[in-house]
Amino acid sequence: MATLKINDLHVQVEGKEILKGVSFSMSEGETVALLGPNGHGKSTLFNAIMGHPRYKITQGSIYLDDVDLTHMTTDQRARAGLFLGLQNPAEVPGVINSDFLRAAVNATSEERISTYKFYKLLDSATKELKMPFDLATRSLNEGFSGGEKKRNEILQLMLLNPKIAMLDEIDSGLDVDAIQTVADVINKLEGEGKGFLVISHYARLFDLIKPTRAIVMVNGKIVLDGDPSLIKRIDQTGYEFIKAELGINIEKEENKMNEVSIGSCAVRESIKK
Amino acid sequence: MNKVIVDRNSNLDLSTLDSELSFEFGSGESFLYLHDLKSDNNLNFELFENSILYLSIFADNALENAKITANLGKNSKIVVYFADFSVEKNKLDATINLNDEGATCEWHLASLSSNKDNKDIVVNIYHNHPSTFGRIDNYGVCKDEGKLQFSGISYILKGCHQSKSHQNAKIVVFDNDCVAKAKPVLKIDENDIEASHAASVGKVSDEHIFYLTSRGLNLEEAKMLITLGYLKPILKGFNESIQGEIDALIERRLSNV
Repeated sequence: MATLKINDLHVQVEGKEILKGVSFSMSEGETVALLGPNGHGKSTLFNAIMGHPRYKITQGSIYLDDVDLTHMTTDQRARAGLFLGLQNPAEVPGVINSDFLRAAVNATSEERISTYKFYKLLDSATKELKMPFDLATRSLNEGFSGGEKKRNEILQLMLLNPKIAMLDEIDSGLDVDAIQTVADVINKLEGEGKGFLVISHYARLFDLIKPTRAIVMVNGKIVLDGDPSLIKRIDQTGYEFIKAELGINIEKEENKMNEVSIGSCAVRESIKK
Repeated sequence: MNKVIVDRNSNLDLSTLDSELSFEFGSGESFLYLHDLKSDNNLNFELFENSILYLSIFADNALENAKITANLGKNSKIVVYFADFSVEKNKLDATINLNDEGATCEWHLASLSSNKDNKDIVVNIYHNHPSTFGRIDNYGVCKDEGKLQFSGISYILKGCHQSKSHQNAKIVVFDNDCVAKAKPVLKIDENDIEASHAASVGKVSDEHIFYLTSRGLNLEEAKMLITLGYLKPILKGFNESIQGEIDALIERRLSNV
C-alpha cells in the first residue's frame, strides 16, 4: 500500500512563500478532505506535489513510499503514481483528446496498449461517466463546457490508474447529476484501493464520497488533522473556531487588485470638485 | 494562359501547365487537389452561383511570388486547405473576393518554417457585398532560423452589412533565432457586421506542458504533441494517401525538435 509523505514542505511562488512547512501523510485506500480558506495554499500544495515549475520547493520533501519525488520532473511523478485533477484544465487546441489519452496511458503503463484495447477502455470509461464519446475525438478541452472539462479530468484519472489522486475542486461546474456520477467513480476507485486527496468548498461532494479523514490548511500550514466530522463543522460554522480554539490568526487573503483602480480615481476626482 | 476544365474530383499536376491558370466552377460541389505549386504560379478561381469548391493544396518545394485569386458569386463557397511544407521560400499572396450575397470563404493553412526558410503568407478577403462570410485560420510552427509571417486583411466595404469576418493566426516558436510575426487586420467601413481577430506568437505554453507532463508524457513528447496540434488539423482537408504523405513529412521535419 503506497503512502504519500509530505515533510516540512516550503514552497515559493514568484519569490513569495506560500507554503510554510506542510507535513502530513496519507495512504492508498484513504479519502482525505483538504479544507481551508481561499488563498491559504491548498492548490499550491497540489501543484507543488505534482511538480509545477512555477512552484519552487525551497525546503522539505515529498516521498511516495521510499521514492523521493522532491526533485523529480512532473512526468516522473505521474509515472510514480500521482495524479492531479486540475481546477481549470488547459484548453490545448489541435491536440486530439483521444491521442493525448492514449499517449498518457502508454506513458504510465508498463507495456504499450493496443489500439483495440485502448478504444474498449475509452468506450467503457466514457459510458461510465455519461460522457458523449464525441468529446474524446475533439481537441483537448477546447470549447468544452466547465462540466465537460471536469468529466474529462475524471476520464483521465480512470484511464491512468494512479495510486494517489489529488482532485482540486473537481465538483465546481458540475450539476447535481454529474456530481453523483463523478462521486460514484471516486467511490469505486477508492474501493479498489486508490487514495484521494480532495479539495472542495461544498459539503455535497464530501457527503457522497465520505472522506475517511479531514485536514485543514491555514496560513500555509496544516493546522488540524482529524476525523471527517470536521467537514460538517466547517460547513456549518466556518473557520472562526480555529482562532478561538487553536489561537491561530487566519491571515486575510491579500487584495490582489491594483491599489489605484479606475473606480477610485474617478471617485477622488469627483470629491475634489 | 491555360484554361483547365476540372472534373468533380481532380488531381492536377501543375508542373506540366502554364504558370498562369484559370479555373471555373459551376453549381454543385467540386474537389480539387493541387500539388507542386510553383514559383510565379498565378491561379485564378471563378466560382459561379451555388458552387462549392474544396481546394486542397500541398506545397513541399520552394515558392516565390505565387498568387491565388478567387472570385465568388452568389451563395458560392470556397474551402481552402493549404498544407505549407515548402522549403527555403514561400511568398504567397491570396486574395478572395466575396462578390455576391451568401459568398463564403473558409481558409485553413498550416505552415512549417524551419532551417533558414523565409515565409511570408498574405491572405486578404474582400467583402464586396452584404451578407458575405469570411474566415481565416493560419497556424504555424517556426524553428531553427526560420522566418514566418502571417498577414491578412479582411476588408468590409461600406454598405456590406450582415457580413461576418473572422481571422485567427497562431505561431509556436521553438528557437531564439526564429522570427515570427502574425498580423491579422480588419478594415471595416460598416457597422452592422460581425468581426473578430486573434493572434498569438510564442513558445509552447508552460501550462500546456505542465498539463500534459502531469499525465506522464515526458517533456519532448508533450512538446511534440502540442506542436503537432498546430499542423495536423490541416490533414482533414486531404484524402487518405496524401494524409499519410503529409503526416510522414511532418514527423520527419519535426524529428529533431
